[in-house]
Amino acid sequence: MFELTLQALYSGLLTGTYYALVALGLALVFGTMKIINLAHGELVLLAAYVAYTAESQWSLNPLAAIPFAMVVVSVVAIAVYLLIDRIKKDRELNSLILTFGIGIILTNFVLLVWSADIRSTTTPWFQQAVVFGDLLFSSRSEILFFLISVALVGATWWWLSQTWYGRATRAVSSDRKAAMLMGVNPRQTEILSFVVASILATVAGIAIFTGQVIEPSLGHALTVKAFIITVLAGMGSIPGVLLGAILIGVVEALTVTYFSSSLQELTGMVLFLVVLLLRPQGLFGFGVRRG
Amino acid sequence: MSAALDIKDIRAGYGAVNVLWDVSLSVEAGTTTAILGPNGAGKSTLLRAIMGLVTVSQGDIVVDSCARTGTSTWNMVNEGVVMVPEGRMVFRDMTVEDNLLMGAFPKRTRPRAQANLKTVYQRFPRLSERRRQLAGSLSGGEAQMLALGRGLMEEPRIFLVDEPSLGLAPVIVDEIFAGLRQLKEEGRTIVLVEQNTYKALSVADYVYLMQAGKIVMSQVAADVDVDHLHDLYFARKTGSEH
Repeated sequence: MFELTLQALYSGLLTGTYYALVALGLALVFGTMKIINLAHGELVLLAAYVAYTAESQWSLNPLAAIPFAMVVVSVVAIAVYLLIDRIKKDRELNSLILTFGIGIILTNFVLLVWSADIRSTTTPWFQQAVVFGDLLFSSRSEILFFLISVALVGATWWWLSQTWYGRATRAVSSDRKAAMLMGVNPRQTEILSFVVASILATVAGIAIFTGQVIEPSLGHALTVKAFIITVLAGMGSIPGVLLGAILIGVVEALTVTYFSSSLQELTGMVLFLVVLLLRPQGLFGFGVRRG
Repeated sequence: MSAALDIKDIRAGYGAVNVLWDVSLSVEAGTTTAILGPNGAGKSTLLRAIMGLVTVSQGDIVVDSCARTGTSTWNMVNEGVVMVPEGRMVFRDMTVEDNLLMGAFPKRTRPRAQANLKTVYQRFPRLSERRRQLAGSLSGGEAQMLALGRGLMEEPRIFLVDEPSLGLAPVIVDEIFAGLRQLKEEGRTIVLVEQNTYKALSVADYVYLMQAGKIVMSQVAADVDVDHLHDLYFARKTGSEH
């Protein structure tokens, strides 16, 4: 049983890091625009299917498809941004309806173009096992994207804390008017947050495509998961998002190990509700805000 | 005579509610202008209108002989018109140092960001002690120093300061005004909005009094009769009309 627990913790850690990529993008966009992009998971899905097409049609390695998928996803994300930008009244609320609708359109677009069949990479390299000490089992894809994800979260943190536009993005999240008084055009940071979110979403999409299986309904599930993680972490905390994502990953893996895989989605929700009851500001969020 | 900042008959307000009624004001380079007046007189709205945070429906805003009416807030900042907003508006979940570095965001100031940071820390040593703290954890006085320091990082040519004494203890107010006097002695152009008449008069060269969205008096600070000013301020009948 001990070995199973250890394996569950390990798998949860590996899954949690790519959850973090998805959740981080959602949190960034929420920070700058104060909107929840309910089509965010569909961006991840799109990236995965672009990689599938690249591999099956042009026999391109999924890793080589990353730059191409990034461009496609970024273009779609900017289109979503431009649509949101057209909302003049009650943007917070109306954008929920808009992005939910875009999510449905994207899912059905994927369904139409790529059908409902389950897909995965056909490059065997990704699926080969990596075993540590006859105890911890994983695939090459999982290890590779674990490393890439951690590096990307680190890079995003560096960008936000050390660069002019990263700081400006945080400033807009913190106080939009004050940021304008510092010479920041908030629209620039809004577009930027969408592009950064697209880059993170793309990598997450390729991680799922090479490590697991993809199907059109995945996008919606990912949006919900990213939303749970973001709220769990406390809106706007990057280390919080990483830890919250790993927590969800581990709890899901433990549920599968000890109970049943059909309960996997349920435990995440239960955890989410418990945290909301006990710590409404999120695990790593700030206390009640002034005003 | 060319003023650093010239405001000509502007009307501005929030949506359907107009607040400023044909306000005109002129600021000489290197002087300190105080705008006084009771709550709701439109002083802060005037500064916000200059910064493009409030829509100007009529009139002109001229900076160094260039028309700037309708210019976006960020472009006003790029022109060197900088505002320290009422209520400080620091970035609460960012560190003191990151707040100051945000002040250096305009491209023209970036090359001197580190030098300016050092100057601000010399001016306000308490900010230097707290540089790694979150701005949300600062006291009111420290937050005001941070807001002023952040404004100075923007290298203001025209420095608009909105109610720096708001909600602060008298001893802290003295400290803030000592800082403003120092800035004035360095020859900066300052527009100060205040409710604390005596404090404002102690640094101002020129005084405007606003009431109900209009300028009701403008005078050289040295000539101001405080009793008369207060009569106007509180709209007592003893004061002469205009």
